[in-house]
Amino acid sequence: MSVIELQDVSKLYGFGDATTLALDEASLTIEPGEFVAVMGPSGCGKSTLMNVIGLLDRPTHGDYLLNGRKVSRLRPNQAAKIRRDTIGFIFQSFNLLPKLTALENVALPLMYRNMTSTRRLKQASNILERVGMREREYYLPSQLSGGQVQCVAIARALVNNPKIIIADEPTGNLDSAGSRLVMELLSEIHKMGNTILFVTHNPELTRYATRVVYMHDGMIVQDEKTAIGQVARTARREMYIIPTMTEEDDLAGVSTLMKALPGKDEKRADTKKSKRKTAKSRAKKGAKR
Amino acid sequence: MKSLTRGNFGVARTSLRSNRWRSFLTMLGIIIGVSSVITVVSIGQGIKQQVAHQINHVGRDLITIRPGHIDPASLHSLNILSVTPSSGSLSSKDVRAVQKTGGVGITVPLGIVGGTVKSGTGEYLAGPVVATTGQLPSILNQSVAYGDFFNADDDGNDVAVLGQRAATKLFNQQVPLGQTFNFRGHDFMVRGILNDFATAPLAADIDFNNAIFIPQTTAEALTNNSVTPYEILAKPANPNDTNKTATAINSSLLKIHGDSQDFTVLRQDQTLAQTTGVLNLLTQLITGVAAISLLVGGIGIMNIMLVSVTERLHEIGIRKAVGATNRQILSEFIAEATLLSVIGSVIGIFISLVVNLVLRILTSLAPVVDWKIIVLASGVSIIVGILFGSAPAFKAARKDPIAALRGE
Repeated sequence: MSVIELQDVSKLYGFGDATTLALDEASLTIEPGEFVAVMGPSGCGKSTLMNVIGLLDRPTHGDYLLNGRKVSRLRPNQAAKIRRDTIGFIFQSFNLLPKLTALENVALPLMYRNMTSTRRLKQASNILERVGMREREYYLPSQLSGGQVQCVAIARALVNNPKIIIADEPTGNLDSAGSRLVMELLSEIHKMGNTILFVTHNPELTRYATRVVYMHDGMIVQDEKTAIGQVARTARREMYIIPTMTEEDDLAGVSTLMKALPGKDEKRADTKKSKRKTAKSRAKKGAKR
Repeated sequence: MKSLTRGNFGVARTSLRSNRWRSFLTMLGIIIGVSSVITVVSIGQGIKQQVAHQINHVGRDLITIRPGHIDPASLHSLNILSVTPSSGSLSSKDVRAVQKTGGVGITVPLGIVGGTVKSGTGEYLAGPVVATTGQLPSILNQSVAYGDFFNADDDGNDVAVLGQRAATKLFNQQVPLGQTFNFRGHDFMVRGILNDFATAPLAADIDFNNAIFIPQTTAEALTNNSVTPYEILAKPANPNDTNKTATAINSSLLKIHGDSQDFTVLRQDQTLAQTTGVLNLLTQLITGVAAISLLVGGIGIMNIMLVSVTERLHEIGIRKAVGATNRQILSEFIAEATLLSVIGSVIGIFISLVVNLVLRILTSLAPVVDWKIIVLASGVSIIVGILFGSAPAFKAARKDPIAALRGE
């Protein structure tokens, strides 16, 4: 049985002329144990897809079956309980509570399971050990590096032993060392049998995935299985078939046209060069800061 | 559920602690409300008890005759022994009339003698010189601390008995027996010091603890019979005949005054009822005002909680994303409101106790703190806090998780 089954799911925002179609009859089936990377330009509906799968949002049309159970029309409280028991979230901006220690942050989901404080903290401490953050249990998020904070966030996502882990650009705010730390951790979790969905702009990260889904204008335009350790074929050519406009490019005023200039195309043709491209975009980001 | 509740209070505590200053300001309304309600009510209770004590002390059968017509409905003096300078329509003729009235046991006139009292410490201005008879202690059930009160043998002699505070102020010593002071050119010898009079506070009048008593006959000799009584005290021979005797006194005085009611005959039960009535009204009024401050305190809680909900939108989003249901968010915020009002009430109770203590030490007030008023004031404030806190809590609980995560 599939873990996630989306049938012609659409999501509309706004009313009248201002209506936007964030998801346009997207259908997607994910089997247990898959490690799915979701790629696509900004505003293509990746986050909406994650929110719908994560039961943070209800689809306007279409059906969503989670573990064979229809969940597309749940009431908020029922959705909250399913989130609590079967879904772990990892966010780009970490979303830890700044006033709680790492340990308390990890123990937070357990509080909503009415677990006693001692058991909560014990279980949280075990999970922190698994992500290698045991020594920093009593640090506040502000005292940890970005990669470490994301590891704590991953521990929080894992603490309820969820079947599905949803990561919306988990490496988006991290440097390369942090990204590596986080992705290695995710792939370890994946090896233990969890189903993981993650959104990324970085084609390099498709190396970790077993499947890559490409989105454009709210539609799933391509769906490809890849071997672990290899960059997905489409991702390598991503720049040609789908106009790339990352948020950083947008802010820096880099247009798709500029990127598509002949001289630069050659550089992007092979994988090595695409790495350089990521490095460049990071440098740009650094300059922005 | 138990651990959830405890967790909620834990969350609330963390939230309040991280915003100490603001939490305190939020609680201020509740603190002021609770402490003022308790203080005001206990001062009222205290005064009521003091007045009742004073009346019980002098005896419920005491009848006071005062100059001027006082409508019992508008009577507002709190002190039955007060010196109310009214138009002097009483005279020694009246005293004799009262004495002759059937059923009257003892009659004691009280008159003020003008003049300056001089002693070694200078002029004495704190209290009046009161001319009276030797029966004053017995009619007021007042005991003498040192020496004794003047009696019929002292008529015309220059002797004086001092109120307790007058003794200390006049001679700077507790027992100035045998000492003398000068009054209207005569040297008066102190022959007795009275015990503390049971007095009621808040009376604008002079109290007997500051008074100097001299024999009526001496005063008359000093002033050429021009001492007019400002008050006549009378007691019936039989305490059960108080009402009858008071009516009799009234009618016999009416005869002398040519049927004009320019004096008032008061019984103690009337005074008590009046005092209690006035005090109750006053207490209710001030309590009402204080209750408004409780309401304002509740609004303060609501206000800050609304700010808190907006400020912690992101946090609400995170909590919802990790599986908090609406009810769990709701109870977290209600726990915060509850904690705010409970802590506020506790501080308010504490402050009111401190204020009561200070009042007891520094003033003649003796506030009586009733546990019922503590329970009532803090109970009302906690209920107000929870009620006003739930509106923002519901708002927080209903937030859409995505919007909250985005901080919209």
